[in-house]
Amino acid sequence: MSKIICSAAIRGAHKIVGTAEAKYEGALKKWGPDQEIGFPNTTYYLPIIYGMLGIPVKTLADAKKVLDKCKKLLPEPVSDKVWLPYLAPALEAGMATFFAEEIIEAIRYLEDPDFYTKGEDPLPDNIWLGAADDVIMRKRGVEFVDGTAPGFAAILGAAPTKEIAAKIAIELQEKNLYVFMCGDHEGKTMSEQLIEAGVQIGWPTRLVSFGPSYMAAVFAIGFATRAAMSFGGVKPGDFAANLRYNKDRIFAFAMPLGTVTDEWYANAAGAINWGFPTIADTPIPQILPTGICTYEHVVSNIPHDQIVAKAIEVRGLKVSISKVDIPMSYGPAFEGERIRKDDLYFECGGGRTLGVELTVSKDMSEVEDGKIEMIGPDLDQVKEGDKLPFAMLIEVAGRQMQSDFEPILERQIHHLVNYVQGIMHIGQRNIMWIRVGKAAVEKGFLLKHLGTVMHAKYHQDFGGIVDKVQVKLYTDEEKVKEILELSKKVYKKRDERVEGMTDETEETYYSCTLCQSFAPSHVCIITPERVGMCGAYNWLDCKASFEINPTGPNQPIIKGECTEPVLGQWKGITDFVNKASRQKVEQVSAYSLMNFPMTACGCFECVATILPMCNGIMVVNRDFMGMTPCGMKFTTLAGMVGGGNQTPGFLGVSKHYICSKKFLLAEGGLKRVVWLPKMLKEELAERMKPICEEMGIPNFADMIADETVGTTEEEILPFLEEKGHPALTMDPLM
Amino acid sequence: MTFEIPKVSYSGKIKEIPLGRGENIITVGGESCYPFHLFEGAIPHPPKIAMEVYDKEPEDWPDTALEPFADVAGDPVAWARKCVDTYGAEMIALQLASTDPNAEDTPADEAAAITKKVSDAVDVPLIVFGTSNTDKDTEVLKAVCETCEGKNLIIGPLGEGNYRAIGATAIGYKHTVMASTPIDINLAKQLNILLGNLNVPDDKIIIDPTTGALGYGLEYCYSVIERIRTAALIQEDERLQFPIIANFAKEVWKTKEVKLSEPEAPLLGDQKKRGVLMEAMTAQCVLLAGADILVMRHPEAINLVKESIQDLMIKGEG
Ligand code: SF4
Ligand code: SF4
Repeated sequence: MSKIICSAAIRGAHKIVGTAEAKYEGALKKWGPDQEIGFPNTTYYLPIIYGMLGIPVKTLADAKKVLDKCKKLLPEPVSDKVWLPYLAPALEAGMATFFAEEIIEAIRYLEDPDFYTKGEDPLPDNIWLGAADDVIMRKRGVEFVDGTAPGFAAILGAAPTKEIAAKIAIELQEKNLYVFMCGDHEGKTMSEQLIEAGVQIGWPTRLVSFGPSYMAAVFAIGFATRAAMSFGGVKPGDFAANLRYNKDRIFAFAMPLGTVTDEWYANAAGAINWGFPTIADTPIPQILPTGICTYEHVVSNIPHDQIVAKAIEVRGLKVSISKVDIPMSYGPAFEGERIRKDDLYFECGGGRTLGVELTVSKDMSEVEDGKIEMIGPDLDQVKEGDKLPFAMLIEVAGRQMQSDFEPILERQIHHLVNYVQGIMHIGQRNIMWIRVGKAAVEKGFLLKHLGTVMHAKYHQDFGGIVDKVQVKLYTDEEKVKEILELSKKVYKKRDERVEGMTDETEETYYSCTLCQSFAPSHVCIITPERVGMCGAYNWLDCKASFEINPTGPNQPIIKGECTEPVLGQWKGITDFVNKASRQKVEQVSAYSLMNFPMTACGCFECVATILPMCNGIMVVNRDFMGMTPCGMKFTTLAGMVGGGNQTPGFLGVSKHYICSKKFLLAEGGLKRVVWLPKMLKEELAERMKPICEEMGIPNFADMIADETVGTTEEEILPFLEEKGHPALTMDPLM
Repeated sequence: MTFEIPKVSYSGKIKEIPLGRGENIITVGGESCYPFHLFEGAIPHPPKIAMEVYDKEPEDWPDTALEPFADVAGDPVAWARKCVDTYGAEMIALQLASTDPNAEDTPADEAAAITKKVSDAVDVPLIVFGTSNTDKDTEVLKAVCETCEGKNLIIGPLGEGNYRAIGATAIGYKHTVMASTPIDINLAKQLNILLGNLNVPDDKIIIDPTTGALGYGLEYCYSVIERIRTAALIQEDERLQFPIIANFAKEVWKTKEVKLSEPEAPLLGDQKKRGVLMEAMTAQCVLLAGADILVMRHPEAINLVKESIQDLMIKGEG
């Protein structure tokens, strides 16, 4: 911890505790030790003291006990020679500061009962509200718990001008935060500045004028402390639980505006105990390493126009956007819309012009949330029937963001853009195609609005991994070419990453229990080389889904020791499946059709089963309606496999898995496949090639029979014999 | 050799949830065995029946259901009193049906005022249902929580879309919540986890797994309730170890089998008897599946089920 901050905080704490003692002595003389003290209308006494120490301060005598504790907590002032480079002494000094300030404020209520208005709104002659009573605390506290108000900014001091004060306040309001104001800078207070600027203050507008002194900061911290006791079930005196509750749930931070005095440092140090960092506009020393707070502790010298954004980033607050702000309707209802020739106003991509869309992740400092740039002409500058090259570059940043999630986010562009009324989107990557209808242009739709859509939806749907989103849209040919080049590099890297990922390289696999609603004991195990049987969830999807929804259907499983490498059995997976299937499934193999095959729910893309006479395996996809050599059509087969049961000899598989190196490894892999519907064989042809090469049978695809060869084992066997299909000479399947 | 009844060994226990307040607290839950398996474990609190009261006079009820309440139908306070005084209701379930935006759209504060009056008029635990409209329920149930502070109402349904808002308010004003999910054990578990993360205390959560009427998907509901119980009792699924409420009366009494008059459907027999039996049979099924609280309507159906509970709670020699 910065030595300057630490020594200043300790100095400040000494001064404040000294003041408290003097106040106490004075009050004791005047009223005696039995005099009752406290904040109005609360059952939490002096809440910080009550929450941290469990001491209900009811009288001046009780306050004395706390003051004695304060003195014990206070570390020696830091001298030039002795220097302990720890945060701990400053944190304790900060704690003592709050205790002392609560006592000072309590005595203020005693000495000057009308110093604060004790209501929700400022009065014409007194704007200082003082401590929130229990009625206000509960009403407002609910908002902190349910997330309608994620937290608060405790502002000390004042902005350089009333205009800046108003701007900061409004920005904080827009983020749904409460603004708790106290203290002054050179005689000015933020609360007064807001009134001068014509901004309405008080609890109802979430701009709370606690008090003119920096000591009123205890009303903010006291509020948070009470919230933990009232809503978190935290017991008085359980300081650890209280502080943890606040760190995890109340997105609060201190924002000192103006000269940071020793006393301010003491308060800031105190707030760090609650996990509330400090974001300052002055060049004070910074404390960046994380530890107590979620991220940085003290960040300084932030310009006023960036201070709110910075605070939100440092405290780890998620931006919530409730509405997609564009001149068109927006929603799934418009996904299927077609824009026909006659309705067409503008189009781009789709082979008509260059077109590309790309989502990449960046460092937090490189992305400015909500920034949407249009480079080149927009729709208001083109004529009906025009075409332009187009590129959309979405840059996202987030503390939980990983480059692995880029393709998942990028894949959403298709449906998210399609949700715009009057817009049609087809394809993805550099084969994307957008058509804009006349009606959309009439309503004022611009390409720039696509940026608005992506910004809002990424926040709404992927808030767990995305903190910041900026979008650049290009219709300038040169620029589009640049992005196209960039995209090629990115795609190449991504593809390599996916190809390089094997079941051996990853220690964590994922579960999917989405289908348990229909197939109660079904669990899909999803590994890098085995996509979920519906084909919709691959390993990366599950990884992202878990980040976004940690209690959801995709849970990480540490695979543990590999007990059967060929069958694909791991200790961790066995245990998990056992539990998640509620003991219905005792063992599961990831790579076998015969030996503890995976359960199947019903929504598999294909079914694999054995053809005993051919000593091989056939796979049939859902779209193939005809008869198959096993004597059953897909629908009949599906009925046999589904329902969450293990059925040796029958397995639900995704199309993707058929071309995986781990495809039915236990039975010999792709080499065992003797029959596929023609349509499926054609669909898989490209992906099958390299595997056939690797098997040393480049023309293997031609050895697989299809319905044109036959739909019974008898019909296809001669074909297999003629082609010399490898399955015929492999170990017997049964 | 003597014959021994094979016994299931249980590793879990349902949490005990105190409902209501003061001397009139009724506890539900606490089972350490399958429903009525008294030879295997303990059932400290037999299942309870909550009698339905509606906030406004019901318009679409068959006369056979309305008849016992014809004198009080427009007055929820009198209705609740009648349930307790005349029919000995153990609990009241106030259905704030008129708050539905597709019905009368009664405003939240008015619904809260009605709830307050009913809660002041009876001492038994009061269950309060919204209409499963996410946004409106949020408004209504938050207002109910505030207005009825300290009464430990049982409020719901809390779903995925509003559990935070209603849950937080319930914590602040100390009420019990019903976690409602659409017939899905995993969703039920997830919602309970989420409520726990929100810090709703474990003794303030009841599971509402969604219950249909006999002949209208009841078998589906039955197996979900059964599976929740199995998971809770023998699979140590801690987040499912909560009592279960079954809110089916409103489903039963809107089926055509109950609504058709005898002249319209002579083959179906006496209309009243039919309704009563449909309700009682539905109740009987969910009882056997594992429900702890049954929300019921017709006094005669209630009597049948009460008798059945009594019979099933007799501990045999085995
Ligand atoms: S089939 Fe797909 S959705 Fe269903 S459990 Fe498997 S991966 Fe999940
Ligand atoms: S198979 Fe499809 S319909 Fe059946 S459970 Fe899985 S998702 Fe659903």
